[in-house]
Amino acid sequence: MSEMAKRQAARGLKLSDLLVTVLISVVLGVVYHFWSSVYSLLSPLFFQADELVYGMWFLASTLVFLLIRKPGVALIAEVAAAHVEILFGSEWGIQLVLYSVLQGLGAELVFAAFRYRKFSASVAALAGIGAAIGSIIPDFFYGYVQDYAPWLLTAKYIMRAISSVVICGYFAYGLVKAVEATGVTALLRPVDPKDYAALDK
Amino acid sequence: MNMRRFLTPKVQTWMHRANPASKLVMMLLLFVMTLLTHRLDFIFYQAVLFIVLLFALSGYQPWKVALIILPFVLVFVSSATTMILFGKGDTLWWAWGLLHISEESFYRGIHIGLKAVTFASQGLLFVLTTSSVALFYALMQQMKLPPKYAYSFMASVRLLPMVWEELLVRRNALLIRGLRPPRGLAGLATGAKLYAVPLLSQSIRRAHRVAVAMEAKAFDGSRPRTYFYPTAYSRYDLWIPVLLIIVQALAYTLAMLYPPFGIADVRYH
Repeated sequence: MSEMAKRQAARGLKLSDLLVTVLISVVLGVVYHFWSSVYSLLSPLFFQADELVYGMWFLASTLVFLLIRKPGVALIAEVAAAHVEILFGSEWGIQLVLYSVLQGLGAELVFAAFRYRKFSASVAALAGIGAAIGSIIPDFFYGYVQDYAPWLLTAKYIMRAISSVVICGYFAYGLVKAVEATGVTALLRPVDPKDYAALDK
Repeated sequence: MNMRRFLTPKVQTWMHRANPASKLVMMLLLFVMTLLTHRLDFIFYQAVLFIVLLFALSGYQPWKVALIILPFVLVFVSSATTMILFGKGDTLWWAWGLLHISEESFYRGIHIGLKAVTFASQGLLFVLTTSSVALFYALMQQMKLPPKYAYSFMASVRLLPMVWEELLVRRNALLIRGLRPPRGLAGLATGAKLYAVPLLSQSIRRAHRVAVAMEAKAFDGSRPRTYFYPTAYSRYDLWIPVLLIIVQALAYTLAMLYPPFGIADVRYH
């Protein structure tokens, strides 16, 4: 039976993993699309207050990884969510290709650093920060953020990191716990060798 | 007005006939070039020329293109303001508290705004001339994208209206039971739980069922397969790089001959 387990792992992501990843991300992509209005609603509150909800745009990567727990899904999720925006013909379409790949990679690398074995809220929060770091790279080339006044640069990215921790870490974790209670995640997660061993008894 | 009819081009230009996969690659190369443009005059002419291309090659009536690019104003303003107000610069024009408008930060803000507009028109030029299904079929056939990825994306887009329907059903169900989330932040959390959990779990179940059915029909592509929409390269795939090179060269020449701003690099040194 452990032979079978190995073979399954070697094949990588199955169509069902991918379809679940992409569908959840596409739904989140629609949320992302409308999130920009929440984002602009917050702006008048105080300057750069909109950064406090920025973490929402990284949610797909951590939420889907916590649900499916397989390598690669965090990156695919973020790209799939951005693809909706492009499909809708959003004005931000073409930049999002770059942003989504780097954000997804940022989250993916954090999960990889824990060898894809840790699924806690704090690891998800770290992955959120990873995604935020990924989003800074295009900001440098596109928005010239290095030419902001230093206090603004610091405030901006600290707020972005906080929102990533709250939204991608604790909110995503809470949501996944609630979804786990419905039992659907058993459909998706990799089967443990222990489960196969139990069959042999 | 019917949205689908609104978004059907009036004429098919040669841009529509080019291979979507090669068009995507060309657009991404173009994107990198625009991203690394720091010359204000160059980006100005890029923005102008790509908007002209939208009118000329998207195949839509001019009034529709005008309507579609109306939000560009918003894109420009929202991209430019922060840099104008808070950017670094030495030639101070106006200061009030933390706000510092300097000559450098002003032109850098304009540059960012124009760059955003350029990206928006380049992106629209691609989206308005490419159907997403055609793109995925071309990616499978010309770029050897594994079919399981392409079909997951195409199936998910088809499943999206069902999720929307479920959202409406859920809303009505909650309404008829008189369940209303409290106001404020607590309401947001309850609302998320009332909607997100059932929608997520139902989406997972449905996606899983559909995937099992698709695996049974060998959509995961473990064997060589044929395609319902065969795609191929054509001469139009050569025209696109030629067009883009001409446009960029023209923008650069215009920037050199008739610079509206005369600023070679907007970065702070």
